Amino acid sequence: MTAVAAPPTLAGSPRPPGLVTDRVVRVVVFVAGALVLVILALIAYTMINRALPAFRSEGWSYFTSDVWDPARSKYGTLAFTFGTVLVSGIALVLAVPVSVGIALFTTEVAPRWLRKPVTYLVDLLAAVPSVVFGLWGLLVLAPTLPGFYQGWHDLFSGVPLLGSLFDGEPIAQRTFMTAGIVLAIMITPIITSVARETFATVPQSLKDAAHALGATRWEMIRAAVLPHSRGGLTAGILIGLGRALGETIAVALVIGSSPQISAKLFGSGDAAASVIALQWGEASDGTYRAALIGLGVVLFAVTLIVGVVARAIVARTDRHAGGSA
Amino acid sequence: MTAVFPRPSITQSTASPWRRTKSALMTSALALALVVAAVPLVLIIAYVLAKGWSSVTTPGWFSGDIPILSRSEGPGMGPAITGTLMITGAATAMAVPLGLLGGIYLNEYSAGSRYGKVIRFFADVMTGVPSIVMGLFVFVIWVLSFGLSAFAGALALGCLMLPIVIRTSEEMLKLVPSELRESAYALGGRKAGTIIRVVLPAAAPGIISGALLAVARAAGETAPLIFTIGFVNQANTSLFNDPNTALSTQIFKNANSVFPGPVARAWGAALTLIGIVFVFTILARIASALLARKHQP
Amino acid sequence: MHRSRAWKLVPLVLTFGLLGAACGSSTTTGQGNDDGSSSKLAAATLNGSGSTFQQAFNEAVMEEFKAAQPAVTPVYGGGGSGKGQTDLQGGLVQWAGSDSTVKDADKGLYEGPFLYFPTVAAPITVSYNLSGVKLKLAPETLAKIFAGEIDTWNDAAIKADNAGADLPSTAITVAHRSDGSGTTANFTKYLVAAAGSAWTLGTDKVVAWPQGQQAGEGNGGVAQIVKSTPGAIGYVDYSDAKAAGLALASLKNAGGSFVAPSLESATAALDGATLAEDLTYDPLNAAGAEAYPITAPTYILVYSSQPDPAVRAALKGFLEFIYTDGQKIAETVDFAPLPESILNAAKAQITKIGV
Repeated sequence: MTAVAAPPTLAGSPRPPGLVTDRVVRVVVFVAGALVLVILALIAYTMINRALPAFRSEGWSYFTSDVWDPARSKYGTLAFTFGTVLVSGIALVLAVPVSVGIALFTTEVAPRWLRKPVTYLVDLLAAVPSVVFGLWGLLVLAPTLPGFYQGWHDLFSGVPLLGSLFDGEPIAQRTFMTAGIVLAIMITPIITSVARETFATVPQSLKDAAHALGATRWEMIRAAVLPHSRGGLTAGILIGLGRALGETIAVALVIGSSPQISAKLFGSGDAAASVIALQWGEASDGTYRAALIGLGVVLFAVTLIVGVVARAIVARTDRHAGGSA
Repeated sequence: MTAVFPRPSITQSTASPWRRTKSALMTSALALALVVAAVPLVLIIAYVLAKGWSSVTTPGWFSGDIPILSRSEGPGMGPAITGTLMITGAATAMAVPLGLLGGIYLNEYSAGSRYGKVIRFFADVMTGVPSIVMGLFVFVIWVLSFGLSAFAGALALGCLMLPIVIRTSEEMLKLVPSELRESAYALGGRKAGTIIRVVLPAAAPGIISGALLAVARAAGETAPLIFTIGFVNQANTSLFNDPNTALSTQIFKNANSVFPGPVARAWGAALTLIGIVFVFTILARIASALLARKHQP
Repeated sequence: MHRSRAWKLVPLVLTFGLLGAACGSSTTTGQGNDDGSSSKLAAATLNGSGSTFQQAFNEAVMEEFKAAQPAVTPVYGGGGSGKGQTDLQGGLVQWAGSDSTVKDADKGLYEGPFLYFPTVAAPITVSYNLSGVKLKLAPETLAKIFAGEIDTWNDAAIKADNAGADLPSTAITVAHRSDGSGTTANFTKYLVAAAGSAWTLGTDKVVAWPQGQQAGEGNGGVAQIVKSTPGAIGYVDYSDAKAAGLALASLKNAGGSFVAPSLESATAALDGATLAEDLTYDPLNAAGAEAYPITAPTYILVYSSQPDPAVRAALKGFLEFIYTDGQKIAETVDFAPLPESILNAAKAQITKIGV
């Protein structure tokens, strides 16, 4: 038998069907894919371009000064960067243990029939729009908190570091802490979902080995599940952090809008995204507008770095997981 | 003398009581974590229902205009509902087809190539753009030249949705077994035809589900809209002309009111918005469940 | 007999009627009439935004105007004087509400020359949340509270202004505006004029408030903070403060007497206010025994050049409505109508809106 050759094309045969469609589709999807690059490049170019006047007039103090005084044309963004980081930090501290706990519960502890409902429940939390979180946080949660803050403050008053941390000047409804709590509720479903998927990839053999060595359920989790999931968990935390950093509306409603660098959790503060949202309408002066856009650029850069780091960690753990058996 | 080792029991844990207690305690702590997360969810839904129900069931809620006298009580979020549906609809019409095509490109045409990696990376970058920055961007390039409109809001939302749809489409397409494609090629199909007739139908449940989730997220966004759509009291069905309004921006506007009327409308709008988002989320699940079942052998 | 004579009257009546109508209406786009006969304006949308200080008045007027002119759709989005000014600069709205005048440096940002139309005036109240206390404040004390130098209610300075009152030791929560506000501009302008060296933060739509205060969006946002926080104090426009049931402080005016905010004390402050050429005026810190010291003016800004004929006619009709029926509506929503002199000058300025 001769080797199978490509079927001969007869001279004069019609063009194979679908060739034109194929070429057209090829171009179309290429353009669609490239659209992402085009839009991003446009965003980067326009934003940075329009933010330059602020950098030029302020110099480095744009990033390092905490004096934001539009009336006197002084724009220092340090207080907003601080506020954004502080509020996101509070949110992570509150959300990560809860999220990891829920994920562990779902994958290791819950009986099989409970797993799907629990997953749906947590995903339902992710579906609530952020502005509804803000509305609820402002009108329902915030009024109940000052009493709680006051109690906490009285508990720790006199203790050197914690005393001034759990303080406000004065203790108010709309504070760093309130914003942190609302953010924590918002990012919990995201971190839970990533954590759950990470825990699901832990090889059963690892868990069985722990059990075989006599470990209790909790010891098995600590010895087998958690160490294996370090990478995925870190990535999940960073993804939650990214979401928290960029959240605008819910934070704007409950943070108090008072830019200050103070480690008083129960006092009002301000965050970058909220400032842009609340002060944009007012900014007529070219430099003011540039300063706000610059704040957006800074925020974007920070979320970008966080995202890249998260993805690098995921890539590294994928390689490790691929290597181990 | 041979030492006698006690035979280990295989039905009882040999762990000390303390270790067992600790395990039980920690397991309960994990269950507690679930309760801690469930409490705010239940509270939020309960409050929105309780405070929004009376607004939503007032006759004239869905069709009535937003009262001109903003401190007055009484219904009317018709323009906001129209606005939300229009803007989300327009954003979906732009983002989903383009996103799907982009996902097809990433998975079918450039799966391993450097260029594909670059696009995938930047699509991920784009999902991280804060929504307020997207709103600023559209304000600068569109609103300043063409004014406030529903379309400007749709542009901003579409840019937010695009990378999400691209990535979820790509992931869904990846799940389609390569045997399907190879069989189609073996039968003489060309690439585009294969994709259209074989791969897409197979990936459809996941793609639709992903798209609906992106729509649900877009419907709830506020920050990109506050600079781009403006405000109206009466429904504006024109996409390109004149300002418009949406449920999310109305909630944001009324949240800070000291009068009970606007606050009641804000709760009602929140309930309506959650309703819309939940409908999309549930549709997404039904779609993926139904179509997945259809394609299973 | 009787009937035929009556029929003879018909053509007479018709002729007079037609003549009367012809005299009454002017152009087909229907500019407003002094005799009140409404010729209907062509369809137009009047988008506006800006000051929340004048929002309640604008909305009340818009409701009545819509009933009188169903084809015109006026819209007012609020957002603060700063937003109104920037929206007008960008051509995103046809009219802007502003309580503060435009800085000379900013005038170049506008698409063309614009006109100030004063509409109403009202007190800026100092609202507070302290049960059982009828608060009286001198300007220096007020300045120190908002500058953060006085932080408890039982401070000596407050006690001095309120002899015999029972002041608790609660901390003072100060509420100011988070958005760019003409109310802030006027409030701080008053403090600069009346409190002297006690106020160092200057005056503008946004000032660098001291740390530890709460900020609300719009006059409504500040009112909301004051209403829900015991021990809070903030500056809120009279209309919103009264409708929200907030307690209002009596302030010491330039003449030395403590005056409570009301439409009467506001009108007293408007008496004798001098009108500048562009129709801006300053009733803050007015002399006069009954005058409320923080009575603020508020304006509508429009471009003097309006190329679109429907919009031009609608704008003129809207402004004329404000200066006729609107002045009567003002009191129903707790705004003080303009005194005669300002009203006439404003009405005359409407003719300056042209192509």
